[in-house]
Amino acid sequence: MVRLITHNLLACHVKGCTSNNFPLEFKDVQVVLRESEFNPDFLRGFIPKLEWPALVGAARELGDTSLPDQLPEMLDDDFLKTLHHVLLEIHVEEGIMICPNCKHNYPVSNGIPNMLLAEHEIG
Amino acid sequence: MPSYILVFAQSHSEFRIPELESVAQLHGFAITLPLECDPLRPFMVLDLASEEHARLLAGRCILIKHIYEFYAQGGDYEELHVVNKANGHLWSSYAHDTSFKFLVTAYNHKIPQRRQRDVVESFSYMAFAGKIDMKNPQIVLGCFEEYDSSTGLRQDRDSKFRQVYFGRLVIDGSARALIKMFDVKKRLYYGNTSMESEVSLLMANQALASSSKLVYDPFCGTGSMAYPIAYFGAQVFGSDIDGRQMRGKAGKDQPPGVLRAAKQYGVADRIVDLCTFDVTRNPWRCGDLFDTIVTDPPYGVRAGAKRLGRKKELSEDKKAANIEHQMSARNKEEPYVPPTKPYELSLLAADLVLLARYLLKPEGRLVFFLPTVNEQYEEVDIQAMLCDGMVLVANSLQDFGSWGRRLVTIRKATHESYPPPCFEEERDPDARIPAHKDFREQYFRGFKKENDVQ
Repeated sequence: MVRLITHNLLACHVKGCTSNNFPLEFKDVQVVLRESEFNPDFLRGFIPKLEWPALVGAARELGDTSLPDQLPEMLDDDFLKTLHHVLLEIHVEEGIMICPNCKHNYPVSNGIPNMLLAEHEIG
Repeated sequence: MPSYILVFAQSHSEFRIPELESVAQLHGFAITLPLECDPLRPFMVLDLASEEHARLLAGRCILIKHIYEFYAQGGDYEELHVVNKANGHLWSSYAHDTSFKFLVTAYNHKIPQRRQRDVVESFSYMAFAGKIDMKNPQIVLGCFEEYDSSTGLRQDRDSKFRQVYFGRLVIDGSARALIKMFDVKKRLYYGNTSMESEVSLLMANQALASSSKLVYDPFCGTGSMAYPIAYFGAQVFGSDIDGRQMRGKAGKDQPPGVLRAAKQYGVADRIVDLCTFDVTRNPWRCGDLFDTIVTDPPYGVRAGAKRLGRKKELSEDKKAANIEHQMSARNKEEPYVPPTKPYELSLLAADLVLLARYLLKPEGRLVFFLPTVNEQYEEVDIQAMLCDGMVLVANSLQDFGSWGRRLVTIRKATHESYPPPCFEEERDPDARIPAHKDFREQYFRGFKKENDVQ
């Protein structure tokens, strides 16, 4: 936690920040790898929701280069295992997630991201 | 189709039928309820396509104690025996040499031993020749008398039952054991708002929790809902405006409290992530994400719901000073904590339905508790919360006397995508005031009318 599956679903939501507000950039992160049960059906169901380039970028930011630039058409078990590892086994435990547009900092502490907005950001 | 006698647990009667239907749906079959179906009665005779379906129900329904193959019922024993004889093809194969145990018991009554013996004797025409084995019988035959109430003297009441049922035990309900397993008192992390385990399991069944599903709890708190849902195989996201609820007080040396409890149940891996945010200001990138949203929103008796904002607007000067303070606080050790204001329950409930319509996949479910003042409650309170595309599936009351909480199950019955809700803070002034509005205030007034108090 924060896993990349979550990172792929979180956009900056500061008032008025509606474009270029995803994906959030990582800074000063501590990463932990934890084994997780492989569930190919879950992955197949979730793939249509993924923003692929954002996932590839985030994984590479964290030093994992195993994903191809394009989502392959054939979802074989080898690929799903690679995807499983990137989506669910890489945990950002500490650090900051920064909005590429408004530069809002979302801190991650003990694996839990603080996505609360400040008073002036909710309008 | 073969018939079965369902023997229910004596609690949460309004939850029985919704649970049956949900668990059947989860396993991909439909059930047809009997025409006269009174959920308040402890026995139900139900047609099922196969014994396998009975086993699936008993393996997952929290409120099923036993399922018997139906042989007969009647308003008295004479009637019962007529039916039982006509159904001889169901039991005659056991008559030759199957060991058995004969159970005679009652609901709302204790049958005197002498009459229990008489009842067993009255079945002698079945001519069961196998040996009676009280410990390890091959089959258990059960005879259940149903009394409407347990008031009055036992000897006066005896034999004046409403209905008697007879059948062969197919399977004991195994899901009830989970109530003990998830007992809050034995949980490594919980709070004063944690949901009791039986009810959280009922919610997990309404949520159709199962492997490969993605479930979201937007008022995650101490995680009560997450554990049974993850136990049934689903992946769970939790968020809460108050991160302390999810973390607990153990500090940074230990994992957050919700994860410690999840680990105790062997499901930590299925807690996908926990996030701190206000659901009215949420960072979800897109909709149509979750199979189920299941939540017990804080309704204010122990902890009221909050949203970002201030009760009263600040003056312009103060606003400017405040922004300066917020910017500088970002960089210091102590994190900035934004101000919050109460989130009134009827607004929260209406928002929750709109949010679910945005975030749920088609056919996804929203399952949540709504406390209401029983005297003022009308069905329209729930109907009025619905919006286009959202359909009520079930509405079950857990009654506490003057108030109660309703487990509401709503289905997204559309394949259309909807925009996120705008979380407006004004309500339509002409609309009926639902019985859950300002629930907290009403609770502390003792549910008296406002004018009666002074």
